[in-house]
Amino acid sequence: MNKCKIWSENEKLDREQYRAIQLKRLKETVTRVYENVPYYRQKLKDHGVEPGDIKSLEDIKKIPFTVKDDFRENYPFGLFAVPHKQIVRFHASSGTTGKPTVVAYTKKDMETWKELIARIVTMVGVTDEDIAQISFGYGLFTGAFGLHQGLEHIGASVIPMSSGNTKRQIMIMKDFGSTTLISTPSYALHMAEVAKEMGIDPKKELKLKYGLFGGEGSTEAMRCELEEAWGILATENYGMSELMGPGISGECQALKGMHISEDHFIAEIIDPDTGEVLGEGEAGELVITTITKEALPVLRYRTGDITSLNYDKCECGRTTVRMDKIQGRSDDMLILGGVNVFPSQIEEVLLNSEGIGPHYQIKVYKQGYLDKIEVDVELADADVLESFQRLESLNQNIRDRLRNILGIDAIVNLVEPRTLARFEGKAKRVIDMRGEK
Amino acid sequence: MYIKQISIFLPNKKGHLEKVTKLFLKHDIDIRAIVAFDTTEYGILRTIVDDPDKALKVLNEEGFVAKISKVIVVEPEDRTGSLHELFEILAKNDFNVEYTYSFVMEQDLMPYFVLKINEQEKATKVLCENGIKVINKKEILSN
Repeated sequence: MNKCKIWSENEKLDREQYRAIQLKRLKETVTRVYENVPYYRQKLKDHGVEPGDIKSLEDIKKIPFTVKDDFRENYPFGLFAVPHKQIVRFHASSGTTGKPTVVAYTKKDMETWKELIARIVTMVGVTDEDIAQISFGYGLFTGAFGLHQGLEHIGASVIPMSSGNTKRQIMIMKDFGSTTLISTPSYALHMAEVAKEMGIDPKKELKLKYGLFGGEGSTEAMRCELEEAWGILATENYGMSELMGPGISGECQALKGMHISEDHFIAEIIDPDTGEVLGEGEAGELVITTITKEALPVLRYRTGDITSLNYDKCECGRTTVRMDKIQGRSDDMLILGGVNVFPSQIEEVLLNSEGIGPHYQIKVYKQGYLDKIEVDVELADADVLESFQRLESLNQNIRDRLRNILGIDAIVNLVEPRTLARFEGKAKRVIDMRGEK
Repeated sequence: MYIKQISIFLPNKKGHLEKVTKLFLKHDIDIRAIVAFDTTEYGILRTIVDDPDKALKVLNEEGFVAKISKVIVVEPEDRTGSLHELFEILAKNDFNVEYTYSFVMEQDLMPYFVLKINEQEKATKVLCENGIKVINKKEILSN
């Protein structure tokens, strides 16, 4: 431990140096969005803030929060701060309703992203000697491409495996001698089970050393299971499309929190109810301001993730602030196998589906290590009883729409009318049983 | 010519069939035929009763999703091969049988066959032309 190198000098600056860099870059960012993003200009004006008002780092409190709905209101390109000509990449994640959240990168943003990933993979111990198997789904999701570029950047050999087809994953892992696995923690646990079913002992027959897990939160218990199942160092990293993708923070070998690249992001913890900024060590909602992004700078983004910050110097030698494991969400967002879904999105799909009533119940649970979601809806249209085929196609249609629009594979249960719970106050339509043993 | 059959949406849960039969009993509705096929989570119960309009009304009042659909009921002759002839006629004339089931009205008589066919009207005509006995409403709904 502590032998592996630190990728960038910017990971071991002293606090005053970080503060100076952050203040300078915050001023630049606020000025840039004020000048280039009409929505932000208006929002800042509405709050009586002008770029000149940011004189100290503490003045960040004057800036209004950005929330996911701001992305929706500006769908698709309204928050971009550069002309299209400068954009070289798009990605997207789920929004709170039908439309996705669109993000974009300039050439310099792509360089920044690579640099951020290089830092988090290096702090785990990955080097140019390693073979990294990326088992995140490629596509609009930022996870796979983000890690891919950064791993290539440090010279590691990348296998762009994508997710799914688990037996093939194991075969490639064995035959290519993959040393590093990139996936969601739950998929990694599932893969380990499949490997055992295939008669492969991961500890003896595979060369895997490191796991870099993200896309969904995990617990210490999951880490133990992962380390036990694979015989690897299981680490976690954190990212969010709206802010960049993966690379915002990651665990070093000390496994004592995720280092945030503070020369690129300013992290705050707030009370999710009042918006008040909390102190070091206090748990609350993570708020991130990007201070180097060109295409899509984001001011004080409310991530919805509950965590706390620790500014102590880490035993690995890095001085960057560390965030604790995500303890939960301040909103009702669900993470299903790395896919973010809001119940409101599911509701929208259901309300636009024919033949069913407006009430629904969502159940989320684990089957083995995989997340499963079931949606109960009330059948309303008696005409489909004409044939079982029509009844089935009504069900299939809802399943297809959930898959196509939200990217989730749900089990749809048709139930009789008036059998689902009705709510007078705040509806409790989601039952998440994943925490139960 | 057609018989009113009731289709009822039924989740595969214990006691659900009993809910229907109890309701019919309460309202003095006589069940002539009833059929449900094995499905996984839910299915469709199909039944022929003496007063289908009343049955639909009480079912709807109880919150069931139910529907009346019209089916053809035939009475094949009591001899080997008569069922084959029935389906042969339908096949030759390019009809698609969506589902079929049989029920007995009186002991010692041939069972009746319920047919749900993609083109009911045309099929009825073809069946009659081919000498198949198509049952009318009176024969089933009143004793």
